Amino acid sequence: MSAGPDLLVAIAVSVLLVAGSIFSLLAALGLLRFPDLYTRMHAASKAGTIGSGLLLLAAGLHALDIAILLRALAGFAFFVLTAPVSAHLLAKAAHQAGYKLTNLSVTDQLPLAKQKSDRL
Amino acid sequence: MSASAILSFSTTFALVALSLGLLLTVARIVRGPTLPDRVLGLDMLVAIAIGFIAVIAIRSGFNLYIDIAIALSLVGFLATVAFARFILARGLSPESAGADSRAAAVPTRGKALAPARRQNKGGRR
Amino acid sequence: MRFRAMRFIVVNLLLTLVWAFVTGSFTLHNLALGFAIGAMSLLLVRDQLPASLNRVRPIKLLLLVGLFFKELMLSAIKVAVMVLRPNMRLRPGIFAYPLTITRDFEITLLANLITLTPGTLSVDVSDDRKMLYVHALSCHDPAAERRAISSGFERRIREAFPL
Repeated sequence: MSAGPDLLVAIAVSVLLVAGSIFSLLAALGLLRFPDLYTRMHAASKAGTIGSGLLLLAAGLHALDIAILLRALAGFAFFVLTAPVSAHLLAKAAHQAGYKLTNLSVTDQLPLAKQKSDRL
Repeated sequence: MSASAILSFSTTFALVALSLGLLLTVARIVRGPTLPDRVLGLDMLVAIAIGFIAVIAIRSGFNLYIDIAIALSLVGFLATVAFARFILARGLSPESAGADSRAAAVPTRGKALAPARRQNKGGRR
Repeated sequence: MRFRAMRFIVVNLLLTLVWAFVTGSFTLHNLALGFAIGAMSLLLVRDQLPASLNRVRPIKLLLLVGLFFKELMLSAIKVAVMVLRPNMRLRPGIFAYPLTITRDFEITLLANLITLTPGTLSVDVSDDRKMLYVHALSCHDPAAERRAISSGFERRIREAFPL
């Protein structure tokens, strides 16, 4: 095995690793800094998903094995599909339970207390 | 600079950044102030743990870790869904009423009136 | 009836492919195992399978997927930059978005796409499926947000899944 492709893969994996871990860190920072549940959810569902997804991709790429890469891609796809669903469910449940938006909010057009508690 | 040196540096960087992220998330879980905030924190904790496992997979060379990460993401998703249903079934928790003025649930007389009025104005627009 | 069986088999084959991806092996035995497991899990949810999918335009669907990943990257970067700003200047709020697409899987798709794009997160859909409630980080101009969704994702979804 020559050194060229090896080095290229290492650089690509490193870029993915650094980007993914920075996204994860910023998502956690956003979780701490945003004022209410709904804004925090933005940080967790976007930056968090991308962060973990990039790290998974890095692991798949590092193996240099098509089966492992496909598995990592499947994991990434699964992650991207489930993150919005869980964010949506949590936001909906919190809003219906009556948790308020932050005072910075300018508008809330979602009607409250729709009495459909067992449909989720 | 050789390939293994680059990888060693970047995995160390990623582990440090992810550890900091875990700490920040734990801080949010401890601070709350409401149950949905903590559930969101746990969700984020699982996401960071998945990233952590992926980095460990690169560092150790055991590709089996990727399967573990995928399984963990499944479990984390199901846990969040279960928690969301629980929050919906339980309704507003008693601790959120007074714990944080931002998340104040019941606008009692006096102090809480001002924010409530501001929200109404926004809603009419 | 025959159409239902067709759809069952198509979805089952897709599941088999996913199984082969996840297990990382394309041997005949493994594909057969994936097919059997897919059939069993489809039997469990046979009543909830979506209504008929008349037509799919593959190229438009690929365009949609491409747009989605571009927007996902952009939104992650935007949120990350926003977190780092010392003063976040948030104007969050929930606005109602009138839907023009009607089928459940389209609404689900749109809601998921909205959640993973910059500054917006879908919270709820009304009982009659005519309104989608979207939380936005900067909600000072809901009309512009609505325009962006309807000329972006909603149009793409309608193009990818023509009635």
